[in-house]
Amino acid sequence: VRLWRCRCRALLSRPAGAVRARRGLAAGPEMHFGFQSVTEEERREKIYQVFENVAKKYDVMNDSMTLGIHRVWKDILMHKMNPCPGTLLLDVAGGTGDIAFRFINYVRSVRQRQLQRKLKHHQDLSWQEIFESYQKDKFNSLGDSQVVVCDINREMLKVGKQKAQHLGYSEGLSWVLGNAEELPFDDDKFDVYTIAFGIRNVTRIDLALQEAYRVLKPGGRFLCLEFSHVSNPLLSRLYDLYSFQVIPVLGEVIAGDWRSYQYLVESIRQFPPQEELKAMIEDAGFFKVDYENLNFGIVAIHSGFKL
Amino acid sequence: GPALGRSCHRQQSSGSGSGSASGSARPQPLEPSLLRFLVCPLSKRPLRYEESTNELINEELGIAYPIIDGIPNMVPEAARMTHKKPPAEGSEQP
Repeated sequence: VRLWRCRCRALLSRPAGAVRARRGLAAGPEMHFGFQSVTEEERREKIYQVFENVAKKYDVMNDSMTLGIHRVWKDILMHKMNPCPGTLLLDVAGGTGDIAFRFINYVRSVRQRQLQRKLKHHQDLSWQEIFESYQKDKFNSLGDSQVVVCDINREMLKVGKQKAQHLGYSEGLSWVLGNAEELPFDDDKFDVYTIAFGIRNVTRIDLALQEAYRVLKPGGRFLCLEFSHVSNPLLSRLYDLYSFQVIPVLGEVIAGDWRSYQYLVESIRQFPPQEELKAMIEDAGFFKVDYENLNFGIVAIHSGFKL
Repeated sequence: GPALGRSCHRQQSSGSGSGSASGSARPQPLEPSLLRFLVCPLSKRPLRYEESTNELINEELGIAYPIIDGIPNMVPEAARMTHKKPPAEGSEQP
């Protein structure tokens, strides 16, 4: 515990040159991995290791660390997206499928309401016609909506796929192993691009944002849900206390791996604050870029459009 | 007896790809709708699905991306050069 406090103090006296690396831009060889200074290659490897280690306990840890509140954040993201049936979603760094499953649930229920409304307006149909309409729509319960989950980590995808099987998600869902900085998707393909609690772990954020822009259709929306910065000083202190004292301990107790969770809380501190991320998103070409703080800035949803 | 031996042999030689009903015993095929979106991450050019080796081939660059457990592995590090001999069937199971 004392060691972590010392490292916090060391952080405050960091040279200004590290700021460029902090922003995940094309810096020199020095990059941050939490509070450590590493090369770009080392950073990618270390982050891959972190998620390889935590994959199986990822969901449990999310619930424990955030006291289940991460579910609410993800629900809010989905409501903000408000997808209609027929939407094509690319969920990057989507590993264990939380956003993808919510998307499917959402469009399915919108579709249900659509069908019910349709039926209400056709009160004088014959039984044959009603039967036929059910047959037709039965195979279209998602209204042609689709979600592609892309993640760089095989273990996370494995967990996601197993969860999908377990929970009965199959239609309209596919899994791809790929790099957010170098997406294996064609231009102008997706209606929405989401990255939830993933962009923080990307080494070249600028490249990821450029790729997001590329694969979105004109009119498409970029949505990023990520830990951000708390400006309120008292809250900030409590948040720091919780982050550095409680979370790594939880990590050790639940996942047997405090180091990975130490990385997690450090990486949150290293990540650009709201306005800076907004500027980066604008640099990638997005318009009407905006953000919404959740829980006083512990988490923020950034949104932008490709026009 | 000999009848049993023959039926076992028939099961083993039933080959690759189509229908992953038996799960991990055979390589899972690619989700067909994905081919609409997938391109080579390096060149962003279209890919060809090769069923016999369960790979996505970029003819221009001469590289092939493997599909493991039904998940296409679209990172350059995972790709192999196509002028080399393709891996033996069944050897890519984790």
